[in-house]
Amino acid sequence: MSLSKCLEILTKYFPSFLLGIRTTLIVAILGTLIGLIIGLFIGGIRAVKLDKTASKSVYIIKKIIDIITKIYIEVFRGTPMMVQAVFIYYLVYTNIFKWDKMFAAIFIISINTGAYMAEIIRSGIQAVDPGQNEAARSLGMSSSQTMMNVILPQAIKNAFPAIGNELIVNIKDSSVLMIISITELMFQSNSIAGTTYRFTETYFVTAMIYLFLTSISSFILHLIEKRLNNTKTSFPQSDTNIHSIVIASKGE
Amino acid sequence: MALIEIKNVKKSFETNKVLSDISFEVNKGDVVCMIGPSGSGKSTMLRCINLLEDIDEGQIIVLGQDINKIKDINAYRKNVGMVFQQFNLFNNMNVLDNCVLAQVKVLKKDKNEAEQVAIQRLSEVGLKDFIYAFPNTLSGGQKQRVAIARALCMDPEILLFDEPTSALDPQMVGEVLNVIKNLADQDMTMVIVTHEMAFAKDVADKIVFMDDGIILEEGSPDQIFNNPKNERTRQFLSRII
Repeated sequence: MSLSKCLEILTKYFPSFLLGIRTTLIVAILGTLIGLIIGLFIGGIRAVKLDKTASKSVYIIKKIIDIITKIYIEVFRGTPMMVQAVFIYYLVYTNIFKWDKMFAAIFIISINTGAYMAEIIRSGIQAVDPGQNEAARSLGMSSSQTMMNVILPQAIKNAFPAIGNELIVNIKDSSVLMIISITELMFQSNSIAGTTYRFTETYFVTAMIYLFLTSISSFILHLIEKRLNNTKTSFPQSDTNIHSIVIASKGE
Repeated sequence: MALIEIKNVKKSFETNKVLSDISFEVNKGDVVCMIGPSGSGKSTMLRCINLLEDIDEGQIIVLGQDINKIKDINAYRKNVGMVFQQFNLFNNMNVLDNCVLAQVKVLKKDKNEAEQVAIQRLSEVGLKDFIYAFPNTLSGGQKQRVAIARALCMDPEILLFDEPTSALDPQMVGEVLNVIKNLADQDMTMVIVTHEMAFAKDVADKIVFMDDGIILEEGSPDQIFNNPKNERTRQFLSRII
């Protein structure tokens, strides 16, 4: 393998690589975002514990939802995305409608990521101190108000490193989607290697590009994480102690 | 007039009997302090009044309604504030927003009005300068004062305190007790679970002494502290004071 040959391939086939990068990023980023939305929804539902006052029918509905979501998570975490991709793509293509490959790719990576995200969000929610839930409920807030305003914002913050990890994983693992021949980076590399017969050099360039993409992503994610953890604080001008506590009597 | 009537309440966690036949009353404007050894069921009783736990048998009547038959729990809870041992402030928002959130979501106030109420309540507990601080920058005593202000913002009829000073450093206990004392002077109806005997003696209209899920003795502070009838009460007090 010669580095100069690598450079030659990179410069000669740069537009092809660029198209691959573009497709990979679109699929990975959209898939992660849609997966996050699926995860928020399913993880949120799974983390809800019913009030003791909930009626029998609500209890049964919740139980059914729990079982369905559990099956979804187990199936999509327990089978390879490559298998999911070919199966779902051809299932829909031959039986329902002739869908666009790009659309299919985003769909597949989204539901696959959603299964992981659901568990990430659920554990993020469960990591929030239950006392805050009790406090919110004791003020008369409903369970959904409590979830949206108090629990979820903290759960997302807790889970952010794991959520970011999913993006990195998706940038790399979207390579298996070449099986349905979308023009992502791995698919492009295969064609370039096939044209040049320089397999080692081509895939070395491919590996470097993936490494570059994931490094940039983790750098950006790291910046966002730092921002999230940087809670604003105020610096009080005066020191307040018990002697300055004045309580106005009621009605005044 | 009794604001809270507890009638023959029983509760178990699995096979562990926590409350066996508890009855007592809280009158409007009264401060009732519940004392007794750890594990005697005081906190559980308090949590039952706010429906954080449900009871197995008996009745809890608050503001004239049997609370275990209430459909709209949230409407009931806004009348009954609760202050917790671990403060339980919302860590994702500043002190002001902690006090504003429930006013906007539950009482449907507009944000400006809610903020004014919050600032008023926060200045009453001596934290006017801290409204933009986040909970993780406050001391324990300050956090608990925010929690009290947050409960007061809902303008409750009754306030429940679950060991409000047990998680505090000794030098911070005073500031929180001061705030509660001031509320007592304003005739706020309060039920306080506490281990601060001197405070209970000072502030309470009635003391309830619980042990092992039953009320062994109840009466005025003078009666309980100076002239306890029950041997167990005497032993408990002699160990603590």
